[in-house]
Amino acid sequence: MPELDRLEQLLADLGGDLEWPATPNLAPAIRRRILARPWFESRWAIAAAVAILALAALLVYPPTREAIAHWFNLRTRITQVTVLPTPTPLPPGPIGQRLGLGDSSTLPAARATVHWQVLLPSSLGNPDEVYVGLPPVGPAGGDVTLVYAARPGIPASSPTGAAVLVTEVQGNLTSDSFGKTLGDGATIDQVTVAGHPGYWIAGTPHVFYFIDAAGKVRYETLRLATNTILIDEGGTIVRIEGDLTKSQALSIAASLS
Amino acid sequence: MEGRPTDDGELFARAQRGDTAAYEEIVHRYEQVAFRTAYTITGSAADAEDAAQDGFVKAYRALASFRPGAEPRPWLLRIVANEARNRVRSAGRRHQLELRLAEGFRPGGAAPSPEAATVASEDRRRLLGLVNELSEEDRHVIASRYFLELSGEETASALGIPEGTVKSRLSRALARLRTRVEEASGA
Repeated sequence: MPELDRLEQLLADLGGDLEWPATPNLAPAIRRRILARPWFESRWAIAAAVAILALAALLVYPPTREAIAHWFNLRTRITQVTVLPTPTPLPPGPIGQRLGLGDSSTLPAARATVHWQVLLPSSLGNPDEVYVGLPPVGPAGGDVTLVYAARPGIPASSPTGAAVLVTEVQGNLTSDSFGKTLGDGATIDQVTVAGHPGYWIAGTPHVFYFIDAAGKVRYETLRLATNTILIDEGGTIVRIEGDLTKSQALSIAASLS
Repeated sequence: MEGRPTDDGELFARAQRGDTAAYEEIVHRYEQVAFRTAYTITGSAADAEDAAQDGFVKAYRALASFRPGAEPRPWLLRIVANEARNRVRSAGRRHQLELRLAEGFRPGGAAPSPEAATVASEDRRRLLGLVNELSEEDRHVIASRYFLELSGEETASALGIPEGTVKSRLSRALARLRTRVEEASGA
């Protein structure tokens, strides 16, 4: 019977006689790997990470998200956002400049400039001010805004400073070609005015955007709309906004001619 | 005239400062024990090579955590053995470690007679056969201590167990091997 010490000695002797697989020459491969930059430090990986972060940042911002979606010929309809942009304080001066409505004009001059039929809400009568926005600041085909000051039953709205704004632009109003970023509590109802489709949007102030005649996404960046009715008057989108009730807005929209 | 070989501490200090040539020297010094340690765990030369390579690369990237003055072998073997165990775990299978005697080995002792050499050779083959029949845990601790000639601290690192456990596990493994040797001798 072998003693334990004897057994250990036999095992130690045995170790020297074992057949081990040949030890590979590890150094060259290890040198290559430790000299190579880790993948996450490579120029391409950094570039890809920067691109992804930039894209993510752009997608967070609704106007660019829309522009990107449009670029890919995809339409993203935004219905609710949790955080709305803070309204930019209105600068002093004429309301057209304060709201970035374009150049001051008159109704006849505006009609002559835009080459399409500018509608007038007869229930409100002649506007107090008229503005025309032309490319590149305005949308393709231009837009015309009629400004109405406060009057009985229609107070000046605090965000716009005017009682009613009627903005007209060439384009089509379909469910996938316009949108508003709506805050919590805002509502949107589909309406029909004299056979024309439209939307009534009320509640929390919202930002309006649409696809213009050139197919580009237009975003209103200088003002936050108040209660608004949008009507597609057969190629002309009419937006009527102000501190209006729904019936007031529908009444004004019905008087467009 | 060649100078005295650089000691491990100096090599590690240079490697920690980013001297890749120093680290290459460390790899040369320890690649055999690292590879064989990985082989006893994986039972596969290919897996052992991958584990040793990965282990050395990880060790290089972890050089900042190596404490100056510490023994480098246990530190390196712990990393390589971990890689080997991870490889076995992820593969979901373990190759049976089959240790063999080298062809044409000469048993120790001075000029034995051909008959004595044959008997000694056969005894060793039988002993190795009995080691191979032990449980994986027993085989690993015996292989680490006697075949790889690792210290207690190095064996603990290679097996991923406390040094105190190495002693008790080795003691039990030797006792079981001795029982098998006795049984084989009595047969």
